[in-house]
Amino acid sequence: MSPSAASAPTLAPEIADPRLYLDSIPHERFAQIRAMPGLAWHPYEDNGFWAVTRHADVRAVSRNPKVFSSAIGHTNLWDLEADALEARRSLIDTDAPDHTRLRRMVAGAFTPKNIRRWEDAVREITVELLDEFLAEGGGDWVEMVAAPLPIRVILSMLGVPVADADYLVELSNYLVEGTSDTQSLPPDAFGNTTELRLLPFNSPASHALFEYGDEMRAKRRAEPCDDLVTHLVKAEADGGRISRHEYRHLFHLLVFAGNETTRTAISHGAMALAAHPDQWQRVVDDPALIEPATEEIIRWATPVLHMRRTAAVDCELAGTPIAAGDKVVMWYASANRDEAAYTDPFRFDVGRGDNEHFAFGGGGPHLCLGAFLARLEVSVLLQEMAARRMSLEQRGEPVRMASNFVHGVLSVEMAPGGAP
Amino acid sequence: MSADLVRVAVDSERCIGGGQCEMLEPEVFLVDDDEAISSVIGSGELPRDRADVVVHRCPGAAISIVQPQRPSE
Ligand code: HEM
Repeated sequence: MSPSAASAPTLAPEIADPRLYLDSIPHERFAQIRAMPGLAWHPYEDNGFWAVTRHADVRAVSRNPKVFSSAIGHTNLWDLEADALEARRSLIDTDAPDHTRLRRMVAGAFTPKNIRRWEDAVREITVELLDEFLAEGGGDWVEMVAAPLPIRVILSMLGVPVADADYLVELSNYLVEGTSDTQSLPPDAFGNTTELRLLPFNSPASHALFEYGDEMRAKRRAEPCDDLVTHLVKAEADGGRISRHEYRHLFHLLVFAGNETTRTAISHGAMALAAHPDQWQRVVDDPALIEPATEEIIRWATPVLHMRRTAAVDCELAGTPIAAGDKVVMWYASANRDEAAYTDPFRFDVGRGDNEHFAFGGGGPHLCLGAFLARLEVSVLLQEMAARRMSLEQRGEPVRMASNFVHGVLSVEMAPGGAP
Repeated sequence: MSADLVRVAVDSERCIGGGQCEMLEPEVFLVDDDEAISSVIGSGELPRDRADVVVHRCPGAAISIVQPQRPSE
């Protein structure tokens, strides 16, 4: 299919090939696209997409969900057959009013005030992980700190036993593989019998995660607790405010989104602090910088590289006509380095003033549910590192993920140093 | 920059409980813990420039300026 623009559109350089992301985000290509007039068209499989790369345009798409739908098509690049679309639909692939109903089901647990109640729990986990990292004299930062911290936190909120954390981290690693060009699991892994195209991320690990969610549901039905799963199970029982399908997918989404992204922020954050000891020194010296440093780390990391929408009607963006049904892809990786939105976007600056980054999305109704939780985790980690007056020294190159969706780091060796 | 006070309101039908308002202006907005719907607490008054930021950042486009408290001179 060709784009709808009456005249031939400008073509974007290749940015969807996952291998381009192996060494770094292809920032030069994004800068090139930002400088092109209007929107650039990017061929992809047998149907392309409009590459939305400027900060202002990402904002416009995010904030106009009636025109740029999450439910027509879905929020990833590739197309899905109609049955797969329905089988895989979760909160993130819905529009109002379904979205509003589902979102409100869980939003209460993630308000700024309710998230602050988790501060002590987050600190306890952080202290344990940091002290172990220090006692060992360092090691793989991803395995020792960045991965376990967020998964343990989201699992405690859900009510999942800590003993199962490793299993769920493993499942979530397999899920991310589904967005890269490797898929190491056989289709029948974890006893899966569902066609892969009907599973989120085409991964048999999704089947395992659904099964796990079902077991939790059965347990909480029998014996309610004060946790998120119990809350969802009650909503399901109580006049079917949430369907069985919706429960399974919400559980899946919370486990995945609650750990993969924050892990990426903490991994890139550590690399940024190691590479910019002067910036870390500023944070150690001035606790008031914890908050802006947290925002800067999240902008710098941009853990989620893009989200897609589909035009519900004929419309126009940046002067370019878009036809109903066209795919519109918002590249947060680009918006967060837009020269028009930031002074010196490629400078890591822990004191950056008004930092309206789009790492959590461009601000519409799908704005990251876990944003306050992620901020809490990163800021408590910085506080505890500053309290120990420790710095980080990176040993060697990180092993990065070849994914155009998650800015993933698989491992990176770090050693603790003294105050910088 | 104007120091004029304006009054803000939340449309509870549109609110998705994203919490941006409470993060930016905790004295004026509170997101309910159970319902996850924001409401105005206290006088609901803000300097116009700060009110504009909250309106601009609200993910559900649920916040509006309902009344200039004082006509600007
Ligand atoms: C630094 C960490 C994180 C980043 C960068 C991040 C990023 C994002 C992005 C870009 C979106 C899509 C926004 C849009 O389409 O407009 C999103 C949605 C979402 N995030 Fe996060 N996220 C993070 C942490 C978390 C955590 C800790 C949770 C835990 C619950 C979470 C749960 C979700 C959910 C459930 C959605 C879907 C919301 C909806 O569709 O209404 N995220 N996140």
